[in-house]
This record gives sequence, C-alpha cells and structure tokens, in this order.
Amino acid sequence: MSANAHGPSEALKGLVRRQYFWGIVAIALLLLVNLIKDPGYLAVSIGSSGNLVGNVIDILRAAAPIILIAVGMCLVVATGGIDLSVGSVMVVAGAVSMEFLKGAPDTVGSGLAAIGLVVVVSAALGAVNGALVSVVGLQPFISTLVIMLAGRGLAKVITGGQNTSATNETFRWIANGYVLGLPVVFLLALLLAVAMGLLVRRSALGLMLEAIGMDAKAARLAGVNRRALLFTVYILGGVLAGFAGVFATASVMTVDVSRTGYQLELDAILAVVIGGTSLAGGKFNITGAVVGAILIATLDKTVVFLGVSSSATPAFKAVVIVVLCLLQSERVRRMFRQRRAAGAARPAEREVVAA
Amino acid sequence: MSAKQRLAQVVGTAAVGALALGLTACSGGDSGGDDLTTIGFVAVGPEGAWREANETNIQDTFTEEAGYELKYAPATNLDQKSQIDAFTSFVDEGVDVILLSATEATGWEDSLQRAQEAEIPVILLDRGIEPDDTDLYVTRIAPDNIEVSTAVADWAVSAFPDGANYFVLEGPAGVSVVNERNEGFDAVAGAQPSLVKVGAQTANWSTEEAKSVVETVLKSNDNDVQFIFAQNDEMGLGAVQAVQEAGLTPGVDVKIATIDGTKNALGALAAGELSFVAEYNPLFGETALDVVEKVLAGDEVESSIVVPSATFDSPEAAETALPDRKF
Repeated sequence: MSANAHGPSEALKGLVRRQYFWGIVAIALLLLVNLIKDPGYLAVSIGSSGNLVGNVIDILRAAAPIILIAVGMCLVVATGGIDLSVGSVMVVAGAVSMEFLKGAPDTVGSGLAAIGLVVVVSAALGAVNGALVSVVGLQPFISTLVIMLAGRGLAKVITGGQNTSATNETFRWIANGYVLGLPVVFLLALLLAVAMGLLVRRSALGLMLEAIGMDAKAARLAGVNRRALLFTVYILGGVLAGFAGVFATASVMTVDVSRTGYQLELDAILAVVIGGTSLAGGKFNITGAVVGAILIATLDKTVVFLGVSSSATPAFKAVVIVVLCLLQSERVRRMFRQRRAAGAARPAEREVVAA
Repeated sequence: MSAKQRLAQVVGTAAVGALALGLTACSGGDSGGDDLTTIGFVAVGPEGAWREANETNIQDTFTEEAGYELKYAPATNLDQKSQIDAFTSFVDEGVDVILLSATEATGWEDSLQRAQEAEIPVILLDRGIEPDDTDLYVTRIAPDNIEVSTAVADWAVSAFPDGANYFVLEGPAGVSVVNERNEGFDAVAGAQPSLVKVGAQTANWSTEEAKSVVETVLKSNDNDVQFIFAQNDEMGLGAVQAVQEAGLTPGVDVKIATIDGTKNALGALAAGELSFVAEYNPLFGETALDVVEKVLAGDEVESSIVVPSATFDSPEAAETALPDRKF
C-alpha cells in the first residue's frame, strides 16, 4: 500500500529533478500569459472539416520540424559532436522535393517518390558529415560548418536560385493534413522521436554514443566501433533534418532558398540544451529535446499572439531563455537555497545566543 | 604534413567548393578588350527573385556589344566586408565606373573617398548609404520604397471606404527597406481613422513564417481582420494560405496587398487570391546605362533618380502583365 502511495510522488520528484522540468514549467507559464491575454486561448474546437482547431494545435504543428532536428542534434551532441548543417540539409531537402514535384504529376506516387528522394539526399549529406568527422577526423564543428555553407549553395544550384513552388496533394497533406483530428506533422514527428528514443534507449546504442562522448579512447578500448557509430549518428541526423525540411516546405509548398531552415540549427541546439543534454557530450535526453522544441514553438507563437513588436522580439525571446537557463543552473539554485537557509537560520542563532 | 596544415587545406578546398557552388550562376567577363569601358559592379549576390532579376538585368545591359566590360563581384553571404574588399580592388585596378549595391548602408565613407581620390565615379544602385553624403557618389538609381508603399496605402483607403482592421507583415526589423515601406504606408493609412491597425510582426520575408504568423494573428483577433499588408510577395503568398486554412476566402473576407510584383504574386493576383500588388521595379539597367554614358561624357546628373514602378489592382491587369514578366 505504501508502495502505491509512493509511486506517483516519487515519479513527480524524479520529474522535478530532471532538467527539462523547467522547460515544462516555462511552457506552462507562457501558456498562462497567453491565457491572461485571452481567456479562450487554450480552447480547442472542432473545425469545419472535423479537425481540431486551436492555438495549441498550431503550436504542436510549428514544433514538428524543430522536434526532428532537435532529436537528431541530441544524438550527435551525445557523441561530443555538433551538427551545424541541419538548417542547410532542410533547405536542400526542400529544394530537391519541390524541384522534383514541379515536373511530376500530382499523384500519391510522386509525393512518396519525393520523400524517398529527400531521404537519399539528406542521408548522403549526413554521410559526408559522418565521413569528415569519423574517417578524416575533422572537428565536427568545422565539418558540419562546411556542409552548412555548401548546402545552401547546393539548394540554390538545384532551384536555379529561385524560390520554387509545386503542387502535390499527398506532399501537402503531410504538413497540413489531419489524422484523428490531430495534425499529421506532429504525429509523424512524435512517432519518429519515440522510435529514435526506443532505438537508442532499449538497445546499447545510447550507452555506446554516450561512451564516445565521454572518452573516445576509452570507448574504443572497450570495443565500441566509433567510426560506424559516428557515421550512423550523422546520417540519422541528416535524415531527420531532411524530414524537417519536408515539413517546412510542404506547409506552404514553396522552398525559399535563403529562408527555409535558416538558422534553425541554433533552435535545435537550444532545444537540446534546454532538454538537459550537455554540449560537452556523454549524456543526452531525447524527451528533454522534444520538450525544448515545443518550448521554442510556444515561444515563437506567444510573441505573435501577444503582438510583441518585431524589434523587441529577439530581446523578449532572449530574456525568457536566459531566465530558463538560470533556473536550470545547479549553482544558481544552490545560491537561492543557501540564502533561504541562511535567512531561516539567523533568527534561530540569535535565540541561541540570547538563551 | 601536420594535422593543422591538412585541416587548413581541407577547409580551404571545401570553402572554395562552397563558393563555386554558390556562384555558378554568375558569369564574369574575362576577355579584356582594349577599347571597352570597364565597369566594376559591387553587387549583393544571391538574395531572392528580385535581386536576381535586378543583377541579371544590369549584366545583360552592360555587354561587350554595348562597349562595356562588366566585372561582377557579388558579396559572399551578404557580408559587407567582402563588398569593401571588392570595391577596393576595383579602385586599385582603376576601372572606369563603379556600380554599388551596398548590403549595409553604413561604413562606406573611406571606400568612397578612395574612389574619389582616384577619380572613379560611383553610382549607387537600389541601396542607399548612411549618412547620405551626396558628394561621395554621383547618383543613386532606385525605385522609391516610400512611393511604392504609399500606393498600397492609397489603394487600401479606396478599397475600404467603411474602414477595416489591418495587419502588417514586415521584413526583418531595422532594415532600411522595412523602415521606408512602413513610413510610406503609415503616413497615409495612419491618418485614416477608419483603418485600425491590429498589429505588425516580422516574418523575415519568408512564406513559411508569414503563414505561421497570420495563422496566429487570425486566431488572436477572432478572424476579425479584413486587410493584410505584406511588405514582400513571398510573405503575401504565405498569408493567402493561412487565410484559406482558417476557412476564410482571400480576396473576399481578407484582402491582401503585397510589394515587389514577382511572377508568383501576379499569378496569385490573377487567381484573385491577392488583391493588390505594387511593383518595386528591378529592371533599371537601361537607366543605369544612360547615366553611365552621361557621366563618362562629363554631363551633370541628378543626385537621385527614381525608377518608375507600376501597380496592379485587378486580376485583369495581372493577366495582361504576366506573359512578359521577367522576374
């Protein structure tokens, strides 16, 4: 019986100790701010076509591409690396799919073929990253920076420097469709994130990635195949970014060569860090990355909903994120605790002296 | 070979590769004839459809047949430093005229002074400089953002005699184009009490971001928005999709006006999705050629030349213009 009573509260305590707990708190606070501005903010109604409609649904949809790149980034960061190329892989994926669909008939087949093409191309870009990092032995920062610069150039070459549009109902459905009333993008992103989570945490894969991130030499001595694992991780990161690119372009069926995925690598890194993954490597948390991604989407939507002016937007976002990082910091929290403890202890001391 | 050297080599090769990829679209005139006038074009480079139309037009105008050798130097990643480098090397080379589309308005005094000392006339294309010292350059040729956005506001006033709630989709904060487009629009629309501004937000010139912004704006205003002013075509097209997704009809429930006048926007105007498109005319190669000839002949030119821009306010007007649209 006591075990039963302990269960949920223990779980809650465990959650509070997680770093991404503060991410959840921040999401709740942002939603609360919106709710104060408009009491109907959280309302989800059933739209004309039988789908759920509401601000929360919009947030989930906006979070989908960030979730994917954040999960990919999370795995790469676990190995002590970083992947700056995700935004560029997104634009290449978008360029490839739009350029292909522009000339293809509007059928389910060509929609799927475009996705197949994206998987191949983004895996290839990921493989280049993997090869530069694991075989050539370059710093991940530099290797992925190269792909980041070259990728956007590649997208411009593919589309001839133009923003390219296409029509394909299947492809469009991915970003704008609904299944069981929920947006397809979010379900797909969640599915991929859960699949990744199960893959790395139910097998030894996750541990091996962390081992590489902690001490590459020790991991090799322990028999971890560093080269193959790094390859896998960067390819996974590439493919996930490719899917994110599909989500982003399918939403408007246009690839904007200079804007699609622009600086999203920073969002991905931010999401990963908010989720409690250390950039030093050796430790990662996929659930945290998903929470981080949803937080970023919530923040973006809140800025628009509150009508924060464009010039104040970056500052507003920065303040939210700095406060969040401070809350997460163990040292700052300890300082607060000590203060409180000191405040409580001092009167007691005086009493002792008086006695 | 040390690891460091090898790293530098690989990075160098990759960077060159990246550059080559980015610049394949640009052609450089490399056959230097003796009797050709050399023009150094310090350009912005790949930025979007408008810039591409503009720079291709300049390149197509100053041809060898016309008696010019155009040296095209686009900025790397819109970086001002690469532009200053290109500018300086044109001065050192001693080209006859320099055309400059500055990525950033400030910080050009030293470079322009060097050109002046070398007696090389500088003509600004599209982008102006800050502080705007007209002694440092010959003339600035550009369409007028204020005039173009005023045209949008004038149309809005006449299209909504009973008033309307409107929302503005801006470009990135702080850019001079955005400030000027706001200034022209606000001067007219702000003075009209029946037009109520419900907000303004940046969508960074992007279709995707504009869709996301408008989606939220419609919700926060309970769909009570009748007019959206998008400061470029891409954002306007994103707004169209968001309006459709909210179950409203663009052009009927929500009228959308944009600036630029690209093919895609005119297509949407012809389909009735957009309601007004104000052109920001990129095709002023002929004007530039004219000015260069005058300058070389020693004639006086105005310090600012405004390129005339058209406006399109009906599907029919768009359909007429579409077939020979260059951008």
